[in-house]
Amino acid sequence: MLKVENLTKVYPNGTVALREVGFEVQDGEFLAVIGLSGSGKSTLMRCINRLIEPTSGRIIWDDTDLTALSPAEMRKMRRQIGMVFQQFNLVKRTSVMTNVLSGRLGYVSPYQSLFNYFSPADHARALRNLERLGLRDKAYVRADSLSGGQQQRVGIARALMQEPKLILADEPVASLDPVLSHSILKYLEQMNKEDGITVLCSLHFLDLVHRYSTRAIGLKEGRIVFQGLPQEIDDAQFKTIFGQEAERVTIL
Amino acid sequence: MSPSSSHPPNALLASVFSLLVPGAGQLYLRKRARGLAVLAGVLVLAYLINWADTNFKIEATVNWLWFVFVLFWLWNVFDAYRLARGQTTLNRLGLLLAIVIVYVIGWQVTDINPDRLVTRFKDVQVVFRALVYPDLFTQAGGSWQPSENFGDIIGKIVDRPAPDLLVQLGLAQKGATVPTPVLGKMAETIAIGLMATVLAIIFAIPLSFFAAHNIMSHVPGGTFIYYAMRTFLNIVRSVDTIIWGLIIVVWVGLGSFAGTLALTIHSIAALGKLYSEEVEHIDPGPIEAITATGANLLQIIRYAVIPQIVPPFLAYTLLRWDINMRMATVVGFVAGGGIGFFVVETIRKGGYEQYAAALWAVAIVIILVDYVSAKWRERILAGEVKVSAEAPKPFYTSLRALFWLALGLAVFILCWQLAEIDLRKLFEPAPTFVKVVRDFVAIDVSPDVLDTVLKQMLITIFQALLATTLGGLVAVPFSFLAARNLMGGNALSLVLYYLARGVLNVLRSIEALLYVAIFVFWVGIGPFAGMLALAITTFALIGKLFSEAIENIDPGPLEAIAATGANALQMIVYAILPQIIPPFISYLIYQWDINIRIATIVGFAGGGGVGLLLNTYFGMLQYHKAGTVVAMIVVVVAAMDLASAKIRERMV
Repeated sequence: MLKVENLTKVYPNGTVALREVGFEVQDGEFLAVIGLSGSGKSTLMRCINRLIEPTSGRIIWDDTDLTALSPAEMRKMRRQIGMVFQQFNLVKRTSVMTNVLSGRLGYVSPYQSLFNYFSPADHARALRNLERLGLRDKAYVRADSLSGGQQQRVGIARALMQEPKLILADEPVASLDPVLSHSILKYLEQMNKEDGITVLCSLHFLDLVHRYSTRAIGLKEGRIVFQGLPQEIDDAQFKTIFGQEAERVTIL
Repeated sequence: MSPSSSHPPNALLASVFSLLVPGAGQLYLRKRARGLAVLAGVLVLAYLINWADTNFKIEATVNWLWFVFVLFWLWNVFDAYRLARGQTTLNRLGLLLAIVIVYVIGWQVTDINPDRLVTRFKDVQVVFRALVYPDLFTQAGGSWQPSENFGDIIGKIVDRPAPDLLVQLGLAQKGATVPTPVLGKMAETIAIGLMATVLAIIFAIPLSFFAAHNIMSHVPGGTFIYYAMRTFLNIVRSVDTIIWGLIIVVWVGLGSFAGTLALTIHSIAALGKLYSEEVEHIDPGPIEAITATGANLLQIIRYAVIPQIVPPFLAYTLLRWDINMRMATVVGFVAGGGIGFFVVETIRKGGYEQYAAALWAVAIVIILVDYVSAKWRERILAGEVKVSAEAPKPFYTSLRALFWLALGLAVFILCWQLAEIDLRKLFEPAPTFVKVVRDFVAIDVSPDVLDTVLKQMLITIFQALLATTLGGLVAVPFSFLAARNLMGGNALSLVLYYLARGVLNVLRSIEALLYVAIFVFWVGIGPFAGMLALAITTFALIGKLFSEAIENIDPGPLEAIAATGANALQMIVYAILPQIIPPFISYLIYQWDINIRIATIVGFAGGGGVGLLLNTYFGMLQYHKAGTVVAMIVVVVAAMDLASAKIRERMV
């Protein structure tokens, strides 16, 4: 279970990105995080695995306070928390395989990994994950020769290599064509349902939230303004989260 | 007092201000940049006319110059008047007057005598004849054979006593002679360029991290180290390889090793800067992603940083290798070693046939290097996209990879020997070295030395200016012939295109310093010869850049103007010229900047300017004064660098 308590983040330039944010996520949930750009979604995701250091507040993950861990302990903990990014964040000039294998870095011997050595078991695992995402035949091509949707699938395969209990997906479909959004989210849904991985996923489109998430929170200017089931987001709630001028749009 | 917004500015007052103090009227009208530019213009022009008058015999033109100067002053009054009345001003007239003064002075002080090009043509004919029939082959007994000069430049096979190894293996008798290949000066040049590049990489990589802002801003005290490293690299870079050569010779003595070291030092600074900029452009995304997997710092560097920087680092290194090969052809002028040293010796002996042969050898090698480096860079940056379902085999199991590895190692060892690399010499500098460096750093700032240095520096700047102008002027019409999109409509134009490209490529492959000798034969020693040599390289480089600018024209506007029913001339004026003039001017300013650097060294071959002075001071062991010259070069080159970057930035 993930419990976030009074999480606040103030950037050095004075921007307050998160204000006293608190919520709980049960194991196996698919939690959608919605809100406008700049509402604090990305900061929230990165505070959970401490890519960004929170200013105050606590993050409890399975009875461990993540905010109290030393950097070395946090690195160990990150193995359980996979992350998927809006810009995919692949190393473009290396092969798909190396990108996927890099998801194992938290597990393997640091010295062997410096020479790009990964055990046969890890290689097999990488191929299995690529197979699962339909990219087995692309294993040895350069990452930048893939399309956007394919690159994001490599990103998911990399996260899967960590054997995570939790996946943080930061706008995983915002850089993709709408038609590809469902394909990517279906994979995340599959991980969630079949492997029981908890998913935290920030999304822009409300119908994607309805379609995939089990619960949603809405952020506005760093505060939680909605918590509940996706179906509960009515027009009034929608305007609270996205502002009075916002209009609902649907994709496909 | 300044005009308030409710009252119109007083035009008469503005004019009077400008009449009394140039630029004051413009300042009064709150045109700060304009006023200061006019004031600076008047001061600089007055200084230059006075300087030229006292240092050179220009009685014939000095009154003329002052007359134009007065016109410039009056233009400034007129400008203030028009400005105050809100009318359009005649910017170009002022600029033209200033340019006239600058060029007339430049013409005088760089000792330009076009008549000599005609009257002394017969003196240079022998050189041109030698260029057409270079001394590489001789006709002996009806068959062509490599000449002795060929052996000196390229290499030859001589009978040498058999080495012990062959005797022990039983392949040769003791005391017998075996044919042994002896490589010539060109091979030595290639070795110098290659070794300098390899050595520079080793030092430039670690230095580049200290000069990268995104890395140093995370380290305590890093910002200071960053600025210190940047400054250091910029200073080292602004001193030409040739000048480094002078200093290094004192350290390790004349020879290929000195040339290699000089080239290495300059390359470290140049590569360090390029590498650090590449480090600064790293995409932070993968770093974030690898951090999120729980990787430690070393793993993050190995998997998120290194894969991003290796391809651009390789590409820059190849580019630098290309430059180093060119520099290796001239570093021998001062440091010894390589084809440069050979050229100096042949010129001293008046052996223009050997000199001409050396030019051809240089052209062929450099064109090849240029081609290989460009193709390789293209491949690295594009990246091979292999589609295979199978894992690639590790390189050590591939016979081809092993072959290349072995070949690389063999070339490395051979080049190490050819470049006479002897690291012990680094730690055993000549006994005078410490004193020389101490003298060199304690620069002589006595007025008469400063005066002499400044005089030669100004000549150098004018040399560069005139060379850029001359080279640029010739390049403009020529570049149209070398543009693929304009040529190639029929067989004749295609032939012209390849001819133009070929001429540009051959001319571009030879450094200005190597051309100087031709013009010394032709117009005599002095700044004129150096200027002409610079003009040739300018023409070749600018011609290539111009033709590429023409090739990169956006066809959209052409189509749009044609659709309005415009004729060919109208299309040129409205669709082509607006697209090529800004890049042309930008390239010219950049080239002037480059030419000033090169102009500082043409003096080493008799091309006049500040290089001549530096050579003299070094020859006379006056290191204090040599230090003054180098300091002046660093300041001027840095200032020009900054100015040209700023101007080009504003133009884009």
